Amino acid sequence: MLKIKNITKRYGRHEVVSELNLTIPIGSIFGLLGPNGAGKTTLIRIITGLLEPDSGSISLLGGKPRDLKVRQQLGYLPQEAALYPGLTVKENLQFFGRCYGINGAALETRLAELLTLTELTEQKNQLVEELSGGTARRVLLASALVHRPRFLILDEPTSGVDPLLRRKFWKWLRALSLEGASVLVTTHHLAEAEACEQILFLRHGKALDVGEPKALMKRYHAPDLEAAFLAATLEGSP
Amino acid sequence: MKLQWIAWRLILEIRRDRRTLAMFFLVPLVVMTLIYYALQGDEKASLGLVTRGVARLWDYPISAVLAESEDLELVELSLPDEEADPVKIEAFIKDALAKGEVQGVLLMDARLLEERFGGERGDLHLYLEGSRPTATAAILSGVASAMDDLAEQLPIVVDNTCSAQCAESINNKALNLNKHYLYGDEDYRSIDYFLPAFPPLLVFFFTFIITIITFQRERARGTLARLIIAPFSFFQVILGYGLGFFAFFTLQSAIVLGYVLLLLRIPLTGWQITQLGFLTLLLMLVAMVMGLFCSFLAKNEFQAIQFIPLVILPQIFLSDMIWRVETFPVFFRLLAFSFPLTYANRAARGLVLKGEALWINWPDLLALVGFLGLFLLGMLLFVRSRQAV
Repeated sequence: MLKIKNITKRYGRHEVVSELNLTIPIGSIFGLLGPNGAGKTTLIRIITGLLEPDSGSISLLGGKPRDLKVRQQLGYLPQEAALYPGLTVKENLQFFGRCYGINGAALETRLAELLTLTELTEQKNQLVEELSGGTARRVLLASALVHRPRFLILDEPTSGVDPLLRRKFWKWLRALSLEGASVLVTTHHLAEAEACEQILFLRHGKALDVGEPKALMKRYHAPDLEAAFLAATLEGSP
Repeated sequence: MKLQWIAWRLILEIRRDRRTLAMFFLVPLVVMTLIYYALQGDEKASLGLVTRGVARLWDYPISAVLAESEDLELVELSLPDEEADPVKIEAFIKDALAKGEVQGVLLMDARLLEERFGGERGDLHLYLEGSRPTATAAILSGVASAMDDLAEQLPIVVDNTCSAQCAESINNKALNLNKHYLYGDEDYRSIDYFLPAFPPLLVFFFTFIITIITFQRERARGTLARLIIAPFSFFQVILGYGLGFFAFFTLQSAIVLGYVLLLLRIPLTGWQITQLGFLTLLLMLVAMVMGLFCSFLAKNEFQAIQFIPLVILPQIFLSDMIWRVETFPVFFRLLAFSFPLTYANRAARGLVLKGEALWINWPDLLALVGFLGLFLLGMLLFVRSRQAV
């Protein structure tokens, strides 16, 4: 599904991602954990094809990130509110659906499903610029799901989101995973990452450790992921 | 007092933004320089003098009078002295006017004296390029004062036996100035010269501004990244943008063009208007692609806005829109070649004032297409280096 081999990315002399290896299997929720500046967003931009790595290789959904076939199956939820504020919720979703070639009745059906899922039916005719931050975040998620991506990348999806909505987000991600989609999610909320099936600890662009949340906690004799991450940071890779 | 910290923060931030610093200090100097040359420009109309036959006798005094005029610059024409065929001479003059070697030619030939001796007023022939009313006016004024001196110097034939009655029949009639316009006629107004340059400027100005701001905003809010990730090629995204803008800019171009045509007193054919429309659309495309390209160079909307005076102001001064580029120093004259409006204005004036078909000015069209290609290539390089989003 996603195979990353020895990827390195530098900005000038600064190495943002350093010889990183990563494999994400089909239908799993994979967490990319690390503090701000760990290289999470850069890695995501490399996986989505927005950035070219200086060295190393990536195989995503059996191809390269910039392959049209791959992009058709890729969903991306960026950190910022990447929506059109002058369009309504429904128009935004229609636009992103059409970008992926979904039209007519199929699009209408899919929009109805997503509006229900993300509880946006009542706001569907509201302009995005009139929405609260949390509601706009839900529209963003719906717009990333409109084409039923097989691989979904979410960059800090719960950043600035209240705890109730955060729980809902994770519920939706689990549902997606059950439908067979792979989810790569970055977060610096270590506590909520326990919902991931696999986690990669990332710091200064380097992979510290990778494994299931419980296994990681056990390995570092830590009561929670935060403690496990700190331990991994201190010890380096075991 | 804490407000000084607001000032401190502002100074610190601007000091680190070299582009903004340049905007603050360099751009006003450049603009003042342009205004200086534009306003002090000693624009002179170029005039050639052709004398043939016995009229050569007045070549020197007429040249001297014409040379005194502050608005005229006498230009030596390469017409062979021995050439006496009036048809060939006229063809040569028209060719020199069309090529822009001179803006007017005063022709005096042997017929002038014959006509005077025959009791007629006598014709001076003034050939005018005609597309530039300020030059035409300067030549007419300079030649008019020269004509008074010429009339005084022309020989008056008085017979020894001439009586008082006879003396009254002496030919002291005013000379007749016979004007031949290569383009247009006497009814051209100065504003008719400037008006054709307005649709290109306005269309360029608004297209550029709207494009650069819209695209910069798309980059800043992350929607461009989403489009790049979606199954589009980058050029499909650009074309999509172009198509969307096209609808609005075409309407805007039509409104601007229509209004200018309403103000112009020069009758244009439907075909000329179509060609003018085509030229405006081509320029609109150039402005759009240039706006997209410049939005890549800007890191934020603030920097994007800084491109507006940088791109627009020098073009207003140097694209021959209002001021003749010839009045500027060589550096600025060369710089004018790098502006799309220089070519668009020339083609528009050729079309409206000279009645030339658009394809006659194909080098100008080619230059505009070249700009289009250049900025597209620039964008491609940006995309390749993945700095576009």
